[in-house]
This record gives sequence, C-alpha cells and structure tokens, in this order.
Amino acid sequence: MIPSRKLSTPPPLRLKIQSDPATLAATRRAIEMFAAQCGFDETARGEIGLVINEALANVIRHAYQGATDQPIELSAQRTDDGVCLTVRDWGLGVNPLDLPPKKHDPMRPGGVGLICMRQMMDDVHFIKQPDGMLLTMSRSRLRRKAQGAKEAC
Amino acid sequence: MSEALKTTSKLVPAARKEGDALVASINGEIDLNNSPELRAALLGLLAKAPSKKIVLNLSQVPYMDSSAVAVLVELLRKLNGGKIFLTDLQKRVQGLLEVAKLSTIFKIVPTEKEALA
Repeated sequence: MIPSRKLSTPPPLRLKIQSDPATLAATRRAIEMFAAQCGFDETARGEIGLVINEALANVIRHAYQGATDQPIELSAQRTDDGVCLTVRDWGLGVNPLDLPPKKHDPMRPGGVGLICMRQMMDDVHFIKQPDGMLLTMSRSRLRRKAQGAKEAC
Repeated sequence: MSEALKTTSKLVPAARKEGDALVASINGEIDLNNSPELRAALLGLLAKAPSKKIVLNLSQVPYMDSSAVAVLVELLRKLNGGKIFLTDLQKRVQGLLEVAKLSTIFKIVPTEKEALA
C-alpha cells in the first residue's frame, strides 16, 4: 500500500535538447528537480539523475555516434507511486538489450550506463521506432534498493 | 618529501609527487562533457611523473558518470599492475563505484592520509 503523501502533482516535464554533452548537467538537474517534486529522497534523486545522464550519453555516443547537433526529446511524468521517464532519439535504433550479453568485467568499463539503468530503475524498456528508439523507464518511491529492473514500463 | 606538479586543467587543481606516489585532487562534476579533459590532465601528469601508485582525492567531486569511470579504468591499465587509491568519496560517487563493481579494482580508502600511510 502506498503511504499517503501530500504532494502536489507536478505537470509533466518535456525537454527538447541537442545531442551535445554540454547539455547533460542542466538536463540531469532538471530531472532531479522533477524527481524531488515527485517525493523521491536525495539518494533516489541522484540515481534518477545518473540514469538519465547515462541514457543520454548512450544516445550521444552510440545512436548519434558523437554528433552534437541531433535531436533528443525527454519527458518525465509523475505516476501513482513514482515517476516514468522517456528518452526519444532519431539515431541508429540499436537496442542495447538485444546485443549479446557480456560478463561484466570492471577493467572493461563499457556497459556501466546500462547496469545503472537496470539497477536503479524498476522498469527499463527500449522500444524500436521506425526512425530511432524510444526508451521508457520507471521507478517507484517504494522500491527496495538494488531491486533491479524488469523490462516493461 | 613532496614535489608539486603543474597541472593543465582546473579539473585537477593540485597534484604532487609524494614518495613513490602521484597524488592529485579532482574538482567538479565529471560527465561526458569534460571527462576528455580529465583524461588528458591525468595522463599528462602520469607522463610527467611516472608512478605505480596514484592517489586521487575526490572530496570535491559531487558527481561522476560512466565516462569518468572509463578514465579511471584507463589510468589503472596504464599502471601495469600498479594501484589507484580513491579517497574522500562523496555519497553519489561511492554509489556509482559500487554499482559498477569498481571497488574490486580500486583501493577505496576514507582519506588521502590513509592512502599514503
């Protein structure tokens, strides 16, 4: 059961940014502020900010192969018990969850972003679009730490 | 005995050689936007002062992402069996290192003094 909280519902947040790493800091701060309005504690806000940062960095590096002038759209919406985030790009459309699984080796740091998404969010879902990719993620305020993500949103 | 080293980036405001260790302080949030600058600064220091032991004081790093992790791992690989000590970690940075299971490859200690003991 969800404890009742007196939280005003923030209006959905929609951001249109370019695939420029210089946008990362301001964007993760905006998402962290939104998470605060949804009632997440400081640790959870930091994790949600990190996950968005990693999702955007993956889009910049992989979907757009480093191009800094391509469009990315983000949304954040409060749900009954937490938040749902989306990241839309018009890049190569490769679903990282479809790639062959690799055993995590700390000396080979690739994939840390995906690990963060899976460990810090409840649901992670990459939905291929005709012209790119839509990533949806959600997190409940009530999740247990390191619960891990299901692949649905 | 300690010898100050000139740094090339405001992300690494201070560095010195202390005994056989290269000691550097890192400052600021590190993400994909500035991690290349951090990489250049740290690799530059290592080239100037080759060491098998690096101590990085992260007390002024409130945030880092996977691109910063990649820089630290690259630095560790350059040491060829040497060690990197990370000290004075803030909570968010510690959380990322735990998720990425990096506490197995870096020496994480509370303070710079303990890393140099």
